[in-house]
Amino acid sequence: MASLTTNSPGGAARSAGETSAVWRERVGRWIFYLPLAFMVVFFAVPMALTVVFSFFERTMFWMEPAFTLFSYNNFFFSARLENFLTSMKYSALAVVICFIFGFPIAVFIRRSIPQVAQHRVILLFILPFMVSEIIRVFALRPVLQRNGLVNTTLMDWGLIDEPITSLLYTHTGVVIGEVLSFLPFIVFAGFLAMEAVPKFIFEVCDDLGVGHRRRFTDVILPLAAPGIFAGAVFIFVNGLGVALLPNILGGPGAVNAGLIATQAITALDFPLAMAVSAIMMATLMGLLYIGHRLFDLTKILTPLN
Amino acid sequence: MSETTIATDKAPAVEVKNLSKHYGPVKALRNVDLTIAAGEYFVLLGPSGGGKTTLLRTIGGFHKPTEGQVLLHGRDMSHLPPDKRPTTMVFQAYALFPHMTVLQNVSYGLKVAGIDRKQAEEKAAAMMDVVGLSGFAERKPHELSGGQQQRVQLARALVLDRDILLLDEPLAALDAQLRKDMCLELKHLQEKVGITFIHVTHNQEEAMTVADRIALVADGNLVEHGKARDIYRAPVKKFTASFVGENNMLSGRVSDVNGVSCTVDVAGSQLVVQKRGQQVAHGQPVDLSIRSELVQLSRANGSNNAGDGHSILGSYDEAVYLGLTTSHLVRLPNGVEMTSRTISDAVDDLPTPGDPVRLHWQPEAIRLHTS
Ligand SMILES: Nc1ncnc2c1ncn2[C@@H]1O[C@H](COP(=O)(O)OP(=O)(O)O)[C@@H](O)[C@H]1O
Ligand SMILES: [Mg+2]
Repeated sequence: MASLTTNSPGGAARSAGETSAVWRERVGRWIFYLPLAFMVVFFAVPMALTVVFSFFERTMFWMEPAFTLFSYNNFFFSARLENFLTSMKYSALAVVICFIFGFPIAVFIRRSIPQVAQHRVILLFILPFMVSEIIRVFALRPVLQRNGLVNTTLMDWGLIDEPITSLLYTHTGVVIGEVLSFLPFIVFAGFLAMEAVPKFIFEVCDDLGVGHRRRFTDVILPLAAPGIFAGAVFIFVNGLGVALLPNILGGPGAVNAGLIATQAITALDFPLAMAVSAIMMATLMGLLYIGHRLFDLTKILTPLN
Repeated sequence: MSETTIATDKAPAVEVKNLSKHYGPVKALRNVDLTIAAGEYFVLLGPSGGGKTTLLRTIGGFHKPTEGQVLLHGRDMSHLPPDKRPTTMVFQAYALFPHMTVLQNVSYGLKVAGIDRKQAEEKAAAMMDVVGLSGFAERKPHELSGGQQQRVQLARALVLDRDILLLDEPLAALDAQLRKDMCLELKHLQEKVGITFIHVTHNQEEAMTVADRIALVADGNLVEHGKARDIYRAPVKKFTASFVGENNMLSGRVSDVNGVSCTVDVAGSQLVVQKRGQQVAHGQPVDLSIRSELVQLSRANGSNNAGDGHSILGSYDEAVYLGLTTSHLVRLPNGVEMTSRTISDAVDDLPTPGDPVRLHWQPEAIRLHTS
């Protein structure tokens, strides 16, 4: 660019065209930084502020600059920590259940559905997202409640005498909600992950006599692992963070980090809400770090030739 | 014991009997019969969609026959899975375990077969030397070139000690030069290991380079099979002549039958051709073929007579320069175009387009096809 300007000392008519070229180049260079700027403004700065605010002092209606560990104390030495850990446990359970149902679906779509139809089938899994999440989750209440669809059906069939009350306003209810909400993600993740499996690999397995179990553990799982891990982290973090699910389906003790933060905000304890958010961010980063060390997560975006 | 050994030695490596394979309404193979001797380099050649892959996969056990049998070393194995057969397969591409190193890829089959790790890896390393992969043991597939990836597949298959190797377009994903080199290497590899190779390709040059024998497969039928040289020099079927080599195809009607030869009327010229054991009747429509490099071109010398039965008149169209050779295109009176191929620059005094020319050939160069 510099040489371009020095090489054109005169010629007003020419320099008009060249100036616009120079400008285009200059703008082009800055456009390259735009995503970075976007990330800084909308992610890095709010995250940093969250951490900073979590050390502030609580006032009646807002907070004031300070450095206190009060909020963290408040979190770690109360029932909140226990609730947080319990919600981690149940989120992990939801991840496992999603994996057990979702991954075989993904493998099935990849292997048994003609290539042209695969993406349409995947689209089917997106359809539920067209319905507002609140409505979708709320609709589970009449299904799971004491005299809901599940209980009446089971009783009609004579499988149970008493309605199962633990389906709603409990951890079970939250896990059911999480599985139903997040299952599509593991299907997507698994579907993308299976892209890393070369076309003829299963025939090679037939040729070598690789049994079903070995095929899964030696071939499918290692190849799909980065994608599966990404899907699993996504579900786990949402299980911790989405307040809506325990709010509608949970009950006493069945809360997650998202709901703890929401409750803190309702109670006008902003530093506490910030501290909970900061703890969640730290959890997520820790998970991603472990995943990256294990699988090299950059591979998710580079399916093998 | 010794008796059974003798029996299996004698039995052909592959016998396909009356084999049909249908995919729903698609008849990919129709009543194919084929015998491949042990230790042969056999090529299935034909246009894409002809059924070569289907035939190869049915031999390998990846498909069940709709009808008919596959016998390997004399035993009916039509219903055994691939790993229970004495066959193993090399695919076109995309068939390596991407997360395993070359050594792990090659030794995996042995580990699955229950051989302990150390022994499996030693054997794999030895086979990697054979296919020219020594020094690549720790590479991952994505760090290898296309040719090297195919070598890994070869090693992985050969290390299993099965004695029929199936190759489905193994060189199709490689560029032209590499394909030529790998062709020769495959041929030498087969001579070295001595097992039966069955190689599918749609590329006739590739087929000629590697094959002891060739079978032409088209439209689900096994059209013709024979020694590579015979297929090229003396094809029996019209399809073979049109697919292998650069043949001129002419069609005409039998105008005279006498003893071992007959006369065929092509665009008004009476051409004499050997019957080669085929039955022909007066007036029957037949096809003739002649390789373009066996057709000579000369200027018509005024006299427009019918000639000696081994030449035909036409008008010169154009010359197509192809480097080593030049193709001279000549239009016959019936509109059909014939090609005479010469070494480039052998003819200095080219006719100009529209000039009357005579194409002639040695009597045995032209071939009759009744089917
Ligand atoms: N799995 C399949 N399902 C349906 N039709 C198939 C299948 N595989 C091959 N065919 C059809 O069978 C015919 C032969 O195919 P193929 O054996 O692959 O031929 P080639 O290897 O000679 O190109 C083709 O018409 C092809 O479309
Ligand atoms: Mg094929």
